[in-house]
Amino acid sequence: MDKVGLFLCTGCEIGAAINTENIEELAKERGAKFFANHPCLCSEEGINLIHNAVENDGLNGLCIAACSHREKTEEFRVNPLKISMERVCLREQVAWTHKPNDEDTQMLAEDLLKMGLARIAKNELPAASQETIDRTVLVVGAGLAGLQAARAAAGMGHPVVLVEKQAKLGGYLNRVKTLVPEKPPYDSPHPNNLADIVAEVEDHKTIKIFKGSKIKSIQGQPGQFDVVVQTASGEENFKAGAVIQATGAKPYDADKLSHLGYGKSPRVITSHELEDLMSQGGLKTPLPGRVVFIQCAGSRDEKHLRYCSGECCATTLKQVATLHASHPQVECAVMYRDFRAPGQLEHFYASVQEKTGCMFTRGEVESVETLDGDKLRIQMQNSLLGEQVSLEADMVVLATGMVPVSADGEAIRELQDARVRINKNESATQVEEAKKIEAKNIHHEGTEILNLHYRQGPDMPVLSYSFPDSHYICFPYETRRTGIYAAGTLRAPMDAAQASEDGWGAAMKAVQCIEANTHGMAVHPRAGDTSIASFFLQRCTQCKRCTEECPFGTLNEDKKGTPEYFPLRCRRCGICLGACPERIISFPEYSVDSVASMIKAIEVPEEDEEKPRMIALLCENDAIPALDQAAGRRMQWNPWIRIIPVRCLGAVNTVWIADSLSRGIDGVILIGCKSGDDYQCHYIRGSELAKTRMTNVQETLDRLTLESERVQVHELSHNEFHRIPELLDAFAETIEQVGPNPYKGF
Amino acid sequence: MASHLEIVPSSEWRKKLHDRGGAPVTRCFQCATCCSVCKLAPEEQPFPRRQMLWSQWGLSDRMASDPGLWLCHQCNDCTTHCPRDARPGDILQAARSLAVERLAVPGFLGKLVGNAKSTWPILLGIPFLFWVAALYAVNGLTIPESPLVYDRLVPHWLIYAVFFSVTGFILITAGAGAIKFWNQIGRDKPRQGSFIGSLIPVLMDIAFHGRFGKCDTAKSRKWGHFALLWGFVLAAVASAFIIVAMYILMEELPLPFWHPFKIIGNVAAVFLVVGGFMVLQNRLRQDKPAGNATAYDNFFLSVVLMVVITGVLTEVGRYLMHPELASWIYILHLTSVLSLFVTFPFSKFAHLIYRTLAMVHERMTIKS
Repeated sequence: MDKVGLFLCTGCEIGAAINTENIEELAKERGAKFFANHPCLCSEEGINLIHNAVENDGLNGLCIAACSHREKTEEFRVNPLKISMERVCLREQVAWTHKPNDEDTQMLAEDLLKMGLARIAKNELPAASQETIDRTVLVVGAGLAGLQAARAAAGMGHPVVLVEKQAKLGGYLNRVKTLVPEKPPYDSPHPNNLADIVAEVEDHKTIKIFKGSKIKSIQGQPGQFDVVVQTASGEENFKAGAVIQATGAKPYDADKLSHLGYGKSPRVITSHELEDLMSQGGLKTPLPGRVVFIQCAGSRDEKHLRYCSGECCATTLKQVATLHASHPQVECAVMYRDFRAPGQLEHFYASVQEKTGCMFTRGEVESVETLDGDKLRIQMQNSLLGEQVSLEADMVVLATGMVPVSADGEAIRELQDARVRINKNESATQVEEAKKIEAKNIHHEGTEILNLHYRQGPDMPVLSYSFPDSHYICFPYETRRTGIYAAGTLRAPMDAAQASEDGWGAAMKAVQCIEANTHGMAVHPRAGDTSIASFFLQRCTQCKRCTEECPFGTLNEDKKGTPEYFPLRCRRCGICLGACPERIISFPEYSVDSVASMIKAIEVPEEDEEKPRMIALLCENDAIPALDQAAGRRMQWNPWIRIIPVRCLGAVNTVWIADSLSRGIDGVILIGCKSGDDYQCHYIRGSELAKTRMTNVQETLDRLTLESERVQVHELSHNEFHRIPELLDAFAETIEQVGPNPYKGF
Repeated sequence: MASHLEIVPSSEWRKKLHDRGGAPVTRCFQCATCCSVCKLAPEEQPFPRRQMLWSQWGLSDRMASDPGLWLCHQCNDCTTHCPRDARPGDILQAARSLAVERLAVPGFLGKLVGNAKSTWPILLGIPFLFWVAALYAVNGLTIPESPLVYDRLVPHWLIYAVFFSVTGFILITAGAGAIKFWNQIGRDKPRQGSFIGSLIPVLMDIAFHGRFGKCDTAKSRKWGHFALLWGFVLAAVASAFIIVAMYILMEELPLPFWHPFKIIGNVAAVFLVVGGFMVLQNRLRQDKPAGNATAYDNFFLSVVLMVVITGVLTEVGRYLMHPELASWIYILHLTSVLSLFVTFPFSKFAHLIYRTLAMVHERMTIKS
């Protein structure tokens, strides 16, 4: 920006901690066209001061030197298409956390101001979005979640297209007669009102239904998806703004449970088969004397499903209650590892225990054996008293868990890539490796559901248990494909009531996405961001790192391998910017150049001054909030560290490290969200990628005989604010021990 | 796989347990709140959680041979705190009644008393008919003239004959049950030290109701039980002294009001009346500090109260009532005492033996 104003707030202890006399001079020196300070910038008077300056002096860039950028966002809100704004954090990063009126504190504040001014000078205004957005919501799968999603989206005024593979709507619940209780007093099964919902959806004027159909292809980006549906009578083409996948789950394959007698005796059945029996009129005669329900059959088991499906315990309660009502002479017993009847279902559990006299006992079932005369013997170990116990039964019901009907897009793509390499036949070793990959992924062949035309595969990437959810707790319904949301048992194991709610939730996310696109804004987590990335493709070397590393599949490739950017798929995390070795990717307000200029703006004292300088690149999502909390508690840390907030650790380009070290900065520390299986990275892979990239940097440092300790990556979660001063101080201490950067002064 | 313990959730025993007030056991979800709140449960083998599980599993053998069942004083702290209202106090009480029945020698008497719900007319009627028949045989059931001397209605030799034989019967039957029980509870755990050495501190504890005093919910029950216990002890002492008075001191009956032996007897009566009243009051209270009473519990309490009331009325009736009325009250007194004594090894009264033995066993198995 060329017309920048620096607004300095001296409230909240800032004025008392630093000398503000020569700040105006500093601002003018660094190109600011306007300077003002105010003892309370966020007050009406302060805000007016800013607005008047914008109007009278024609400012297009505002540098607000006050509190953290996470504070007073409403007060300092500007139209991002007209005015660029940078926040310099003098409260949390200076006044509250460092010794007032100290030489080092003053240098820190001045450096931060210089950095802010340097950065805003490089900022550009984003162009207003010109995209045409279609408001249609495509719902794939018409089970309970899909039906509710369709109903909800239509209710919010959006045209809906509902695609169902089967000839009948309703999905799994067509097999089920009653559900677990949903209303007070939660003591008896709830009627399955699926038929009413199906009727409502079928009669809905704005819901278009394709039964017995599949998705042939989905091209493009959110707001503009080109969908082709293969119906029995031909192809249907239409546009859609967002997609909800609610393809449900199927019962775990009980043939793998022969140790529990399945397949060995017709008297061992699954809970789903019992459900069928009960909805077809009850048990067959002769009635069993004792029915034993075995919970967690093939669930929470290293050899089978490792997770809990969440609903089997409640379903068993329902089945015991129903069985007792129709055949009171049949005795029921339940063997469980942990009985899970959360929330109001506790009332149902207590009521079933009391009314049916059913025995519930805890332990691990080892085996179900068939005895003579149709009897079964169940052996259980680790019972509550540590004993091994056995129980005879006439019928055994295995409560099996659910497996999502998802397709592993990444695995399918690996398979396709391997086949391409085999066909190319470039070298024997390559073909051999490709064949191994092909063999590993061959079972994914033909499992495609969405048939996305995405570089990263035709379906969504899945987590370790095949659920396509992108983040297990913070952001429900989100997936790693923008504008495509998962709902129901596809997203996570759940019961009917939850699936119903899930349909509504996913519909709201889909509508939110369409609305955001209509306003040219990004969706979660940088919701409202109007900027998009730009690629200087003349310099692209087709290395494909951006297309590979984007966590959201934003980029396709043309035949040569040049990235094709789909702005509406983009979440603006900047991981591509961090990946690009040619540094050709930038955002109007976040670019390789703008951060590099911040680094350049830092004054690096001479070696004999004995004031080392370090840079801390902190992730905006967890590390900066943690720092703000630490500051709120007036924790203190080393004043030689300059903090630069980054969009994600994955959005850190290694050239910044090189720039810093060559300028004589003594060390760089990166702090981001947790990686690993239970990652907390808001962009899925950011901290993981940063770790890999920095390991490469450290190797380079070693080669240059620079100490690798000068570059460190750390992870912390939002609530670990106490670790901020620990990490920063420990890093400063390490750097002091390592000694000054030998490049200082060159 | 012989090592597996066979569980029978629908056993006959469990059905009986339900009939005896143990139905809430199905509600138990094994959270162990009961063990945590129980102040009497030993740390190493706490109750009543395991007993609740054995009950759900239908394991009658375990329950009959378990000392923990008897170490429970039915404070009902567990019942008060149970989040599922599974009433562990009641379950254990029901299980105790089944254990008494199972240990009974001869077995049919155990069943007869165990089913007091339907058999109580027999349990009271037979002793009554016995006395009527005996008195008819001895003196044609002649009601003596005023002033009433009970010896003329029921000669002392008859009392001795009946109650010495009954005592013998108790010693044999209760002894047999006690030996059976002692062997069963000692099967899994070796005991150490002498029986007498452990019995003395146990008796001291019983005398002062040390354990009973630890209860919270049933705090009010301690003093009623205490008064009844000491009332019976003093009554027994007074009875022994009367024999001394009659045959050694050669004094004439009835003894004068201020005679020391008479005073002991009257103090016993006061204890019994006060204790009986307190126990009855607890039984009738809405909050049920003594748990949900069953017919088995009520039969025992009714007989005890009948003994106390008819006993007091017998003493008073001698002076205040028509001889005929007083005589029939005396006959009812003898009826209830006989019923109490004969059913002793099979009724709730048997807790005197089994709980004492369980406490001795506990002392003998504690690691020093």
